Amino acid sequence: MQRRDFFKMSLAVSAVALSSSASAGVTTQPIDNRKVSRIAFPEKKPLITYSDRPPLLETPREVFSKAITPNDEFFVRWHLPEIPTYIDTETYTLHINGLVDKEIHLTLKDLKENFEQVEVTAVLQCGGNSRSAFKPQAGGIQWGSGAMGCAKWKGVRLRDILNRAGLQKEAHWIGFNGKDNAAYYESPSFIRELEISELDDHVIVAYEMNGEDLPYLNGFPLRLVIPGYYSDSWVKMLSNVTVTKEYKNLFFMDVAYRVPDNDCECEDPNDKAKVTKPITHMNVKSVIGYPTNETVVHHNSHVVVRGVAWDDGHGIKDVFISTDEGKTWEASVLDVDAGRYAYKAFRFSFKPTKYGKTTVMAKAVNRLGQEQPLAKDIQWNHGGYKYNGIDTVTFEVV
Amino acid sequence: MIKKVILIALLSAGALFAQVKKGENIEVPYISYDIKMGEGFAQVQANCLTCHSFGYMINQGPQSREHWYKKTMKMITHFKAPISKEDVEIITNYFAEHYGNGK
Repeated sequence: MQRRDFFKMSLAVSAVALSSSASAGVTTQPIDNRKVSRIAFPEKKPLITYSDRPPLLETPREVFSKAITPNDEFFVRWHLPEIPTYIDTETYTLHINGLVDKEIHLTLKDLKENFEQVEVTAVLQCGGNSRSAFKPQAGGIQWGSGAMGCAKWKGVRLRDILNRAGLQKEAHWIGFNGKDNAAYYESPSFIRELEISELDDHVIVAYEMNGEDLPYLNGFPLRLVIPGYYSDSWVKMLSNVTVTKEYKNLFFMDVAYRVPDNDCECEDPNDKAKVTKPITHMNVKSVIGYPTNETVVHHNSHVVVRGVAWDDGHGIKDVFISTDEGKTWEASVLDVDAGRYAYKAFRFSFKPTKYGKTTVMAKAVNRLGQEQPLAKDIQWNHGGYKYNGIDTVTFEVV
Repeated sequence: MIKKVILIALLSAGALFAQVKKGENIEVPYISYDIKMGEGFAQVQANCLTCHSFGYMINQGPQSREHWYKKTMKMITHFKAPISKEDVEIITNYFAEHYGNGK
């Protein structure tokens, strides 16, 4: 079998099986040669498919030439395999309990009719997005750059819901649980905890995504939206909110989704950090949607580089483009603001001057002056979290 | 040299491209991974595939023996999977052999 044919196989796993291990601590560009599956999941176009149980789907690069990710191309990541396949929208209930003055039980109708309706456009990105860039290979799904998307979410402020229930004085932590379950009854639930102080007015319980009901695989009928945060706490099919005084020790909080608690958030593969912290806020990052590594253009063509940039809500100030392998950088044109948590779309027109391979690099800078490092300067962490290297694509001029 | 790992996805019976209507049963497609057969696969099937797909494991990429051992132990420690000591060794060997990185 020829390499090219091999890559045409529809399942992402084909590409993973090929990658060879490199020397310790050398970070590269994430894997970018995976093809979408021939199998489409409910309400989705065919996407890069890693697993059916639980469903894990990645969005292909070309989708990131738009500031909003369409619902049918939006990535999917569940942690537990038993997801209800039937939702009764009349009786589905969100329970608020624990240290509240009055437990409340809200139907979808209650949420839509008895609360102020709010919208926020926000990026949803897996903490392990681009994990395949890390060498030695970090544990976990070897995502390319598409474990992310940006949507306009509509729902109700979590704070309004909590105020309706009334928080007791000693309330300090809030646990969120969804309707997905493990296959084995003793396995822990995917419960996330946040400190009340982390919850600002931008945090919403959303029932709508880009003007439609949430897709089933993105958490229908309700999910938590925490703008600026990695997606691990954006609990899907949200059914229970419990207010507590003490932090509960939970696997998905204490073991998963953590990075070394030091300045570089990095560690030696052979001497891992003893103290870790949750991943929480997203760092500044950009991804090029066009051209892709498969683009071929005729010489004399104009090329419009398009992509998206984002951070945790400080806002993107500039996206610089290099077409000479990083020697010089020029500012791209940024779209009008869709809000500080949204993708900032960028574009940059140029005319390639030579035949053959041409490399385009994109580097985002936020309003704090934080900028993306080169991929090779990203330091290793065991979970392969928070990769934000300068994105690079190489297309061909013929 | 490219290893011939050909993984073919098969569709399960059912209307996969049908519109989802909320309030009706939703069918998530089943993917049949082409799994490398070998010693220990029976134990993998009995212990691992009851809870999650084969893709969920092998899409972690080729990994070291230690990695596969730790992943298996994680299932016992954190996910309370009832995997026997003997099976831990057999499962680790299977993944190190077929989905290992030589370490």
